[in-house]
Amino acid sequence: MAVLAKLDAGSPAARRGWSDLTIRNAFIIPTIAFLIIFNIFPLIYSLGFSFTEYRASLNRPAVFVGLANYRDLLSDPDIWRNFTITAKYVIISVGGQMLVGFGLALLLNRTFPFKGLITTLLLLPMMLSMAVVGLFWRLLWDPSWGPINYALGLGKFEWLSHPTNALFAVAITDIWMWSPFVMLLSLAGLSAVPQHLYEAAAIDRAGTWYTFRRITLPLVAPLLLIALIFRTMEAFKTFDLPFIMSAQSVETVAITLYQMAFQSWDTGRASALAYIVLIVVVCITNIYVKYLNRLRER
Amino acid sequence: MAAVTSRAQRIGRPVSIIAILLVTAIFLFPIYWIGSTAFKPRNVATSVPPTVFFQPEITPFVKLFTKRAQLREQPTQEEYDAAPWWEQAIYDGGERVIKARGEPLLSQYPSRFINSLIVSVVSTVLAVGMGTLTAYGFSRFRVPGADDWLFFILSTRMLPPVVVAIPMFLMYRTFGLTDTHVGLIILYTAFNLSFAVWLMRGFIDEIPKEYEEAALVDGYTRIQAFYKIVLPESVTGIAATSIFSFIIAWNEYAFALIMTTRRAQTAPPFIPSQIGSGLPEWTVIAAGTVLFLLPVAIFTFLLRNHLLRGVTFGAIRK
Amino acid sequence: MRKTLTGLLAGVGMSIAYSSAALSQELTIFWAEWDPANFLQELVNEYTEETGVVVNVETTPWGDFQTKTFAELNARGDAYDMVIGDSQWLGAASEGGHYVDLTDFIKDNGVDKSFVPATLQYYSHYGGKFWSIPLEGDANGWAYRKDWFEDPAEMAAFKEKYGYDLGVPQDFEQLIDIAEFFTRPDENRYGVALYTQTAYDAMAMGLEQTIFTYGGDLGDYATRQVDGILNSPANVQALEAYRKLYTFTPPNWTQAFFVENNQAFTEGLVAMNMNYFAFFPALANSALNPHADNTGYFANPPGPNGHQHAALGGQGISIVTYSEKQEESVKFLEWFIRDDVQKRWGELGGYTCSAAVLNSDEFLNATPYNQAFADSMKIVKDFWAVPEFADMLFQMNDRLHPYITTGEGDPKAALDALAADWNSTLGN
Repeated sequence: MAVLAKLDAGSPAARRGWSDLTIRNAFIIPTIAFLIIFNIFPLIYSLGFSFTEYRASLNRPAVFVGLANYRDLLSDPDIWRNFTITAKYVIISVGGQMLVGFGLALLLNRTFPFKGLITTLLLLPMMLSMAVVGLFWRLLWDPSWGPINYALGLGKFEWLSHPTNALFAVAITDIWMWSPFVMLLSLAGLSAVPQHLYEAAAIDRAGTWYTFRRITLPLVAPLLLIALIFRTMEAFKTFDLPFIMSAQSVETVAITLYQMAFQSWDTGRASALAYIVLIVVVCITNIYVKYLNRLRER
Repeated sequence: MAAVTSRAQRIGRPVSIIAILLVTAIFLFPIYWIGSTAFKPRNVATSVPPTVFFQPEITPFVKLFTKRAQLREQPTQEEYDAAPWWEQAIYDGGERVIKARGEPLLSQYPSRFINSLIVSVVSTVLAVGMGTLTAYGFSRFRVPGADDWLFFILSTRMLPPVVVAIPMFLMYRTFGLTDTHVGLIILYTAFNLSFAVWLMRGFIDEIPKEYEEAALVDGYTRIQAFYKIVLPESVTGIAATSIFSFIIAWNEYAFALIMTTRRAQTAPPFIPSQIGSGLPEWTVIAAGTVLFLLPVAIFTFLLRNHLLRGVTFGAIRK
Repeated sequence: MRKTLTGLLAGVGMSIAYSSAALSQELTIFWAEWDPANFLQELVNEYTEETGVVVNVETTPWGDFQTKTFAELNARGDAYDMVIGDSQWLGAASEGGHYVDLTDFIKDNGVDKSFVPATLQYYSHYGGKFWSIPLEGDANGWAYRKDWFEDPAEMAAFKEKYGYDLGVPQDFEQLIDIAEFFTRPDENRYGVALYTQTAYDAMAMGLEQTIFTYGGDLGDYATRQVDGILNSPANVQALEAYRKLYTFTPPNWTQAFFVENNQAFTEGLVAMNMNYFAFFPALANSALNPHADNTGYFANPPGPNGHQHAALGGQGISIVTYSEKQEESVKFLEWFIRDDVQKRWGELGGYTCSAAVLNSDEFLNATPYNQAFADSMKIVKDFWAVPEFADMLFQMNDRLHPYITTGEGDPKAALDALAADWNSTLGN
């Protein structure tokens, strides 16, 4: 860890009030204990059933099948297709959010009239519920009664019923909804960039790009990465938007999972698929976190 | 806070203001569409082609708050004349208000709205409070295996919720937590905690620890230093984390649907359900959305100055 | 701030007080969010007046209905005393032990004599026992634009092109002709609104109706045989017919169900609209449908060999095994099946399955679509009701939706593949 307390047992603070050790434990242990207690049962339950043939909907006992569920799933071309679609979706939508969100932050990072109001307004999309966003964007994209095609003069252009267009339509919706999240975090980071660094760069006649790359980006990077981590995790679990927008061609893993778990009630298989998803997300996130820690240590 | 401007930003001011306005307009268009739909007459909401100008009305809000069914027979003229204006508006829309013992029945919207408020406010306070303390702990003290613990905290958000829903439901039933406010509060606190810890750690890391050290030398206890120095300086982080956590809890759908049956039901599953007669009630959905947006929007607007204050300490970090 | 807090606390207090006050004399029925549920709430209010027992009809959006119900049932939840469930759920719910066996109730109370046999068969009967009382009868029918059909210029043009008079289609081939005739994208007019959604059973309902009409079947429900039935020549013909009809739908029609269909119709986009009768009241209501006075209704027409069928909608009411108020629930059902209550149910807007009410002139003339409804209820057929029905639905969607919406691939091959899927799911 980059920021370590230099204050150990012998420090002046430790002699007054609680010791640092007590404070640390009092601050950290409740959270960790709570999260462990809360998550341990669901995790073990799913892990256990992932090795069985079991339907929670029927009065039949679970039958142990070893790794059969995992083997079936990993050899199922449909599941691979789901993962490919999900990957494409994550890249387009999270990439878009990072670009748009950071771009917005750069744009807003100056003084201008009604800054507070405009920032609040720009945050509105992410304050809506996914279900409502899905429903209304479905309406917006509609070729017959939607305003998008009407305003852009696209006629009967079909967004949601065409596989490639649908992926973009859903991703654009997601970008619209979550760019503000990235924007807000970037804005917080950007305003931390000290002015004297820019002034120094100006004296050195550094180019805009150089200033951006060497001064702005490194200072914003940690918060930007946290945004990236959370958006990637969420995008990987995307279910609501494509499901509600009825963009059936955007069949993400989470949709398949939902159908398996809650409509077919194929509990065993669904648990196995959930664990596969978990492992994939853990791997991706791990890479980000490693990178984030390296940034912090600099 | 002093305005932070760079060389690049000083150039082309009007251009950037125009750009800001343009981007804001594009971003707000869907919001405008939802907002205006909340005031549209029913037949205008999905006309072909879309309608831009219309006579606004507040009937959608009347519908949102009442329990209605479709008219099978037109009301008599006397019935119609005797009805209050809001009931007439519903008659005009081809529906009638459902009554029990002569009293019009309220829809579930108000009670669900209150439940949403209770659950979201309490869980946000808990998540941000615990998250801030934990983030401080990780940021300032040596914790054995800190990175692993942090990763564990993060990982609680990785499992797709549909899978944990079933075991979670069974667990909740065992402890009698289904359909209770407490149950949802615990659930949303857990959801937001990992996010709160990570985000707050990002912010607290930016606060130079020299500040606290100076305070400690001045005779503050560690708790006092945390309370008087760190908390005020991390207000941007607290504001941002509170807003995000509140939004997540406020709009949560899947667990709200499965874990509640009556008493603790929140609004998100209710709002899009207005299809009564086999035709979507776009105007009512929009009205429900607009009202539901207000608390978050006001909350954010009140915190806007804290949000925009930024992490002001980076300056002396290096 | 203090005020807000007090308000919140009051809210919590109220909800706690409310829950403890209302325990004993209260029954909860679970259904989907739609008008019939509102009508039912009005009906059961009369039960409350009669007996003092409060009955609540709790609802959830259609899209979440199955998920929510089975989540509750599979966790053995007692939040609901009675559930008004889809007919396909019978297998899963009875084999899962979630529904109370009502066989004796039905025989002792003569429900088997007073209700239409087909409704009892499909809404209540599974594995030799009865699990519910038919509550809301429903079937898939058609609405059409009378003004378009009766326009002299259109009639002449139609006659010239197809050689017979434009009117309510007498068979399925005519229905396809008419759909083709009215499909004019330049005028923003299309032939039909069809079910195509794959989230649940929408596409399956539209297609199975066509399959039954062409004399085909989805398999032998008694012997679980699929081969040679599901992929029969009749079914191939039916699938091709459904595909052909799809080409006459409005743009972006790959994921449509009752909501989209009704919306297309009220917006004046389509000449004919496939929909459940439960959703036709909206079309007869001039405040909701500007073309209400020009809307006619007909039962699904017969196929090339005279087979005439309609896909079944609607639900039966079942008692939940985990309910602690089963006796009270049985009393409620005894009240519900009374002739006068069934009559009242019909008056309020419910689609009763009571034979006496259904056949009365009063009922048949009550709305412009009740005649078509009564006709349809005599020709209903349904999907598989086995516990594996959800898997079978998804397999059907996966195999057939691409062909229906794109026309690519071979219909016979798609049905063969589906038959193979179903065989493995049914354990054949």
